[in-house]
Amino acid sequence: MTVTVTPQTFQFVHFDAALIQRVAESLTAALGLDRPVAIEVDETTPLARISVEIGDTVTIRAESGAFEDTRRPRHQSEDATAAALGRVLLRSRDRLLGGFGEAPADDDLSLAQVAAWETYCVGRLERIGLPVNRQRWKYNFRNRHGFSDVADLAFDRLWTSDGLTWGELDEISRAAAGS
Amino acid sequence: MRKFFPVEELARDSRFNQVTMKDRMADPRSALVKDEPRQKSNRLVPSRPDASAAARGLMHGIFVGEIQALEGAGRTCHDFRTAGDSARRAQDDAHGEDSFADAVPFALKLDMARQAWDEARHVEISVKLSDWMGSEIGEFAENTVLFQAACSTDPILRLAGVNRALEGLAIDVFTTMKEFGDLAGDPYLEFCEDWMLADEVTHVKMGSDWLRRVTEHDPDRRKKALEFQSVVDKLFSYGGTRSDSQESPIGLARRFRELAGFTDDEVEDIAEVSLAALEERKASVARMQATAREFAAS
Repeated sequence: MTVTVTPQTFQFVHFDAALIQRVAESLTAALGLDRPVAIEVDETTPLARISVEIGDTVTIRAESGAFEDTRRPRHQSEDATAAALGRVLLRSRDRLLGGFGEAPADDDLSLAQVAAWETYCVGRLERIGLPVNRQRWKYNFRNRHGFSDVADLAFDRLWTSDGLTWGELDEISRAAAGS
Repeated sequence: MRKFFPVEELARDSRFNQVTMKDRMADPRSALVKDEPRQKSNRLVPSRPDASAAARGLMHGIFVGEIQALEGAGRTCHDFRTAGDSARRAQDDAHGEDSFADAVPFALKLDMARQAWDEARHVEISVKLSDWMGSEIGEFAENTVLFQAACSTDPILRLAGVNRALEGLAIDVFTTMKEFGDLAGDPYLEFCEDWMLADEVTHVKMGSDWLRRVTEHDPDRRKKALEFQSVVDKLFSYGGTRSDSQESPIGLARRFRELAGFTDDEVEDIAEVSLAALEERKASVARMQATAREFAAS
């Protein structure tokens, strides 16, 4: 599937559009995503938010911090690029493959639901070989679900799962947050 | 042993990447809040969508700040001679060094030694907290501006820059992180930050007391030290990272600053300087972004 990246050259950061394209192509092939992908980078902000819109084309809007090497500000990290794109591409694939029809639109997800879905995505990215820091994501999950053994068990379940539906994912998140 | 160690030669292994304040201010991007429906404030609170990532970044900033504070306090123990230390005086004379001779009371050095001990403990706590939060040592760039404030050759300017400005910033940062840990329900973060905060209040108090005592009969030197502190305070506002404004991730911890010996007027001055730094940063970013857009359009 085709991947396009805008802008092609960057003024504010030392990013490489070809690298972004190559990483995205590799991920779409690994995840079996069957739609064109358009990636728009907002290089005017160092924040790291990333959003996705699913139509005939999967359009990803990323702030430059999402692809940045935190050791070297304004420079790109291939690992960070892959992890950021991988998360939204997996979320898109979840929505496209079914089982996630009841999931709210991204903007309507609660912070706990976002953390649960991220955990589910990053666990799968680790299994296809992407370098990720599990503790980082556990801390993120705990911040949204509480610092408890029940929350940690829920995290482990999401991290190691494949083929969850939205209903199952949401139930795990709710149970952990309510514990 | 060498005195007055330059910031460029701080000992770090390959995990660390150092950046200067100049590098940081040259970044034309702006994280200042836009009209976003989900984020009304930049203040570091758990309700921020990027809360855990931002907290990890700040925690790493605390970690490298503690290393530099340890290095600064340690240098102050060594760099200056105490009255009556004839052996050291002979050593300095032999090397042609005579700056601020006999200017430091021995008790001041003892306080700096105690501070170095505290900072070493803070470094260890920060490493463990970073591990708990899922960060690796050196994962974020190290801004060396903190140690730069500890390079003054006048011990009183150094105390003003390090103990009052740097450690004052630490009070603001630890208060923000303690509140973050409390709201998020993170038992370790809240607990550790509270203990470190108590030490920082003591460090600032030591700086305030020594500044007053050493300059008791030297109003010019005191004035110069306070002016230096004001410059450092503005630098440590990091272009608006710390101020009373909700646009800043870190707030000004007025109550703890009061406990540390800052007068109300001094706190107001820092508040003004911090807000000015925020406004200057916003104007600077706007200029850099306009230039970049013009360049892209041409």
